[in-house]
Amino acid sequence: MKRWDLIVIGMGLAGLTAARTAMEMGAKVLVVGRGIGSLSLFGNTIDVLGELNPETKMESGIRGWIAAHPDHPYARTGAEGIVEALDSFRTLFPSPYAFAAIDGRNSLVPTGAGTLRPTYLLPVTMAAGAAMRREETLIVGLRGFKDFQGDTVSLHLRCRGVTVSLPRYGLEGATALALARLMDEAPFREGLGEMIRQQMAGEKFIGIPAVLGLKDPAGVLKTLEAITGARVFEIPMLPPSIPGTRIFHRFREALIAGGAAFHMGHPATGAAVENGRCTEIYAENPPLTSTYRADRFILANGRFLGGGLWAEMNRIREPLFNLPVSQPGSRGEWFREKFFQPESHPIHRSGILTDADLRPVDEEGRVILRNVWAAGSILAHHQAIEEHSREGIDIATGFLAARRALSA
Amino acid sequence: MDLKTEVLIIGGGATGAGIARDLSLRGIPCLLVEKGDFTSGASGRNQGLLHSGARYAVHDPEAARECITENRILRRIAPHCIEPSGGLFVSLPEDGPEYRSTFIRACEAAGIETVPLSPREALSLEPRLNPSLIGAVQVPDGAIDPFMLVVENARDAESRGARFLLHTEVVSLIRSGRKIAGVRVRDRITGDEYAVSAPWVINATGAWANRILELAGLKIGIALSKGSMLITNTRLSERVINRCRPPSNGDIIVPNDTVSILGTTSLRSEDLEHYEVTPEEVSFLVEELSRMIPEVKEERFTRAYAGVRPLVQSAEACDDRAISRGFTLLDHGSCDGLEGLLTITGGKLVTYRLMAERTANLLCEKMGIEVPCLTHLQRLPGAGMGKALGDRLLRLRRQTPAARGEILCDCELVPREAVDAILREGKVRELQDILHRTRLAKGTCQGGFCVYRLLGVLNELHKGGEDGGSNRTLKDFLEERWKGIRPVLWGTSLKEEELIESIYKGLFNLASDDSGASCGGAK
Repeated sequence: MKRWDLIVIGMGLAGLTAARTAMEMGAKVLVVGRGIGSLSLFGNTIDVLGELNPETKMESGIRGWIAAHPDHPYARTGAEGIVEALDSFRTLFPSPYAFAAIDGRNSLVPTGAGTLRPTYLLPVTMAAGAAMRREETLIVGLRGFKDFQGDTVSLHLRCRGVTVSLPRYGLEGATALALARLMDEAPFREGLGEMIRQQMAGEKFIGIPAVLGLKDPAGVLKTLEAITGARVFEIPMLPPSIPGTRIFHRFREALIAGGAAFHMGHPATGAAVENGRCTEIYAENPPLTSTYRADRFILANGRFLGGGLWAEMNRIREPLFNLPVSQPGSRGEWFREKFFQPESHPIHRSGILTDADLRPVDEEGRVILRNVWAAGSILAHHQAIEEHSREGIDIATGFLAARRALSA
Repeated sequence: MDLKTEVLIIGGGATGAGIARDLSLRGIPCLLVEKGDFTSGASGRNQGLLHSGARYAVHDPEAARECITENRILRRIAPHCIEPSGGLFVSLPEDGPEYRSTFIRACEAAGIETVPLSPREALSLEPRLNPSLIGAVQVPDGAIDPFMLVVENARDAESRGARFLLHTEVVSLIRSGRKIAGVRVRDRITGDEYAVSAPWVINATGAWANRILELAGLKIGIALSKGSMLITNTRLSERVINRCRPPSNGDIIVPNDTVSILGTTSLRSEDLEHYEVTPEEVSFLVEELSRMIPEVKEERFTRAYAGVRPLVQSAEACDDRAISRGFTLLDHGSCDGLEGLLTITGGKLVTYRLMAERTANLLCEKMGIEVPCLTHLQRLPGAGMGKALGDRLLRLRRQTPAARGEILCDCELVPREAVDAILREGKVRELQDILHRTRLAKGTCQGGFCVYRLLGVLNELHKGGEDGGSNRTLKDFLEERWKGIRPVLWGTSLKEEELIESIYKGLFNLASDDSGASCGGAK
């Protein structure tokens, strides 16, 4: 049976980052996962620490923040680790579809609810959103596309909004994915650009749902900007996320080109452990159960949604290795009384405790499995949703876990 | 804009709407005021059970007889609000066979038809039942849609001249000496206050009865009992499943369209407006009801909710018309010397029509007129209409995709057209009114996706309200939704919760009002 240097469990941004990092270090890597993972749901921009004041430079700001949050996953990677991992991420996206931070700080970008959201790295298709001036902006909804409500966005952003018909009939109820694929066709995006142009009243910015193609988003952007004469930006919206799907495709392409293997659709459901080491894992591939062997394993299968954690009625478990999970005392303490609270619900801070190298540990700090590392949102003591740190945690810990795993 | 009517009814639950229909069928003008939407109180927060009466047969034969009589009438007049699923009373080994024999005899005495079933027969009808059951008894229980029932009563009454004012709250009673002369009301949305003069006022506010009575310095002995229920993601049984033992907590599973409702608990409550389902109640219901259907333990729950039952403590024996043990009808003229005010409270959803009939009878007697009740003879206006899931899917299939338009709610297949039709009626005043009248937000995601879309439709039609920049309506909805889902968050429903929080708090950056996070508004 084939033996891998490293098996990465999970195909979200943490798992993909770990796999690519290890591959570039020369390791033979297998990635197993249930599916595209959270990138297809929420992946849009790269949040690192949205709660950091937009006046502050990320690099210096995050250093002080880490000092005040010694249990946070960022305390394991350090500010330098975050910067190095983000730089590595950016090398995967060369121009024209590049990711960049504006002036090294957080920027505010419009969302599908008409709110502004702080984020760090923006793809080129969203950059103009951070620069828009509302009196010069037109928000464009697409008729029949229900997951982006243009009137909600323009109402709350207080700019002008229009809903345009799509340049092809029979697309009522089209999904984001269908629209993105149509955008990849030149006549379709040219037709849409023309329809937008006819609705314009001198606006300099155009906000449009984030469906500007899967293959060549920068090309779609260029076409629309050429026709309208305005700066165009994508607005993140309800899942599924097209920008996140692009990130996934780019990673997969790079991994496969570099010799890594990809087993998608078959979640890891069991693991064999001998003498404090994991020897193999099992993935359901009905009616078969596949066995995969490796020297090292990285657990990066997310939280409840990803399947990395599972909540029974009264206890939270880590189902694959049965690792201890740091968690509140009882179900009554999992959630606060109100949905909106300044602090996250206590359950969201639950997760896997690790040593400085991201190896899972028990309550006394003892390493449980010598060849298993954990990365991404499964880790304890972050509030990725409220902090706006999801992608930053994924990239920084995925990067560090791979480095540590391969140097062990 | 002061109004005038003959009979003013307070309360838009089943009783109030039933009285409005009863009076309008007798030709008596009436006007109903309700502080929320229809069924905002106990009528909208029960288990949706069309009692056969079997549940009461052993300890309260009179209530059992009332139930079975009304059960038969409702099947006739409101078939579109009812699923005649039938019900089983299931005996488990710990319940023993003795109670079962007592139960069957009591049902027969009350006129409730029973079919005793062997364990094998019961399991062939309901394969998910606990296989260790020792027997079951089939009874004519069913499921009922309380909102539809109330709206249908109101629609019928309105077509005969009755008037309805929703989101309208009584702020004071107007008296003329020892007689009632009307009420002052406040429109809860516009804040306008005005008078409605009426020589007769009926207090049909159920658990809220004392809120009205205290405006007249009166009080009756009502205890509040909170009952909590859980909604499953799938339907667990074809029939209503009852435990064949003396009535107790956690002993009924009622099918409801595509889901089941598990209930109930009963805990004394002091507060009428704030009551929540506790983790202990949820654990109790899951544990207890998994005795009848073991799969309850594996089931995904979409929501928990609670209602308060008004339990009238004293029969207020000053009036011998306080007939039934199930409900209480008071004439404050003879009890308290305040002529023109009646209170009707207590009772069950299934006896709402009887309560309305008795109330209207007493009123007619006091008015000195003699007109017979017709509510048990006349069918409700939509009685020919199919309501089951099959009918809904058939209606959808007959339409072309273009005619169907956008499907706003993917869980429950609610097309945009359904919302447009409600908006055309022009009576909707807030988001929850639309949610009550459609199946939007009733499915697996509990509105996580469709309410965003619905608000988009309202904003497009400029009916989104005045919350430009604040997303207040969306945030209020998510806060309201939280009350129902928080108690059932574990397993699969917790996955959904992580998704919804990641969208609204993460991607959309909606934040708590006091967190200081940058949210909403534009530069």
